[in-house]
Amino acid sequence: MNELDGLSLLAITLRTLALCGSSLVIALALGVPMGIWLGSRNFPGRRALLGLVNSGMGAPPVVVGLLVAQLFYRSGPLGDLELWYSTQAMVTAQVLIALPLVVALVVAAVASLDADWALQVRSLGIPPLWRHWLLLREIRLGLLAAVIAALGGILSEVGAVMQTGGNLEGETRVLTTAILMYTRMGLFESAYALAAVLLGLMLILAGLLTWVQYGEKR
Amino acid sequence: MSRRFFAADRARDTLRRGPAALGLLLALLLVAVAGAASARAEDSPRSVLLATTTSVQDSGLLEVLLPVFREQTGIRVQAVAVGTGAALRMGTEGNADLLLTHAPEAEKTLLREGVVSERVEIMENYFVLAGPSDDPAGVAQASGVKEALRAIRDQEQPFVSRGDDSGTHKREKALFRDAGIDPDLRWPGLTRTGSGMGISLQVAGQREAYILSDMGTFLAFQARTGLVTLSRREPALRNVYAVLIVNPERFSGVRAKEARKLASFLQGVAAREVMGQFGTERFGRPLFEPLASLPAIAAP
Repeated sequence: MNELDGLSLLAITLRTLALCGSSLVIALALGVPMGIWLGSRNFPGRRALLGLVNSGMGAPPVVVGLLVAQLFYRSGPLGDLELWYSTQAMVTAQVLIALPLVVALVVAAVASLDADWALQVRSLGIPPLWRHWLLLREIRLGLLAAVIAALGGILSEVGAVMQTGGNLEGETRVLTTAILMYTRMGLFESAYALAAVLLGLMLILAGLLTWVQYGEKR
Repeated sequence: MSRRFFAADRARDTLRRGPAALGLLLALLLVAVAGAASARAEDSPRSVLLATTTSVQDSGLLEVLLPVFREQTGIRVQAVAVGTGAALRMGTEGNADLLLTHAPEAEKTLLREGVVSERVEIMENYFVLAGPSDDPAGVAQASGVKEALRAIRDQEQPFVSRGDDSGTHKREKALFRDAGIDPDLRWPGLTRTGSGMGISLQVAGQREAYILSDMGTFLAFQARTGLVTLSRREPALRNVYAVLIVNPERFSGVRAKEARKLASFLQGVAAREVMGQFGTERFGRPLFEPLASLPAIAAP
């Protein structure tokens, strides 16, 4: 009676996608402008910032989860928000995990642009807003890599979402935490089913990336 | 002028595919967000946070009990499986409304200190000392668990310890102490996993080691580990699960009314009936025996 049924599997999958999707959108909204700014400007302290971003890429998610969970605990500084073991706490952790990945990959994409590209665009007298649009088109592959890396990172992550979400049934249970739980329960068939879905999602992601890259090379 | 960006064949191809790929991703996400939103709509406003030992959560009992409670009262229970050690700590810091744990000594200390206002014993079962079926230490012939542990220790037989300050680990240490063995002393053959019961049992299975386990998890993993029970029911192995209500007078955030309701529910006839049956379907025998006991109240 405790085994996973189809409806729960669907609900867990949709919840996982919704959470990771929200986190991704937030991480992109914050990370892309930051990455463009860091990648195209030169100012004192830029190297230090880049170092911070790069070390953030290697930040252990489980540490991020631990700290974010403490933040939202009743006894924590944000306890009054009543967001302990909530999807909001999970998204906070996921954004913190994904953000450095997005920033770093966007910085790399911007930095690898032709040196005279910016000069050329500017000399053509293109207005700033359009210029940014052109820039985004130019680094589209880098952006795509950022999307895939960020989504892959948070989709497969388990430590942080377990600590911030608590794997609550019908609320914060996502694919990875459910796999862990069913393994702990010794219900391996259920764990396998969830694992297959997670693998499938990852394959779709990788497939999309390859598809787009293939179009680029031809 | 912008020929450079738009005219090249390869670029055009990507431009066609890029948005399509992004569109697909977005569509996928939209469906998911819609699904999550509809799932959220049924959330009831009041909820109560229950920090529980993993052995109870992993048995699946709460997934049967809590929906009944919600139907009766409309209160949503957020059950977080963190292990007894962490659950007690969450109580001490006012980070939960109720605790479901199995460490009587530590629980009574919290009651004395006024961290929790009430302690109710709701059910019990027995720990098992499990090991390989050939039983090299002759544990099955021992007079009791103390003698069994001494035999394992004296012969330096492989033994797997949880080592994670869980309720089961606390009991394991107490049993070693009672047997006159320092539980903190390392010896050849001793493995400390620092992991949950399921993983620890699998380690014990791989190493053909002895291990102390709760009954539910032992049965859930028995087919995988190949270990057998070598102990009998004896008072030293009695495993009592209790519900503790975190003291609302000490922590203002505690939802005392809802917590009290859940505690009463867990003591009630309906819950006791579920507890007494639970496990029969999967293991052919119940995992818990419900207890009818009066709550112990903290001195004001």
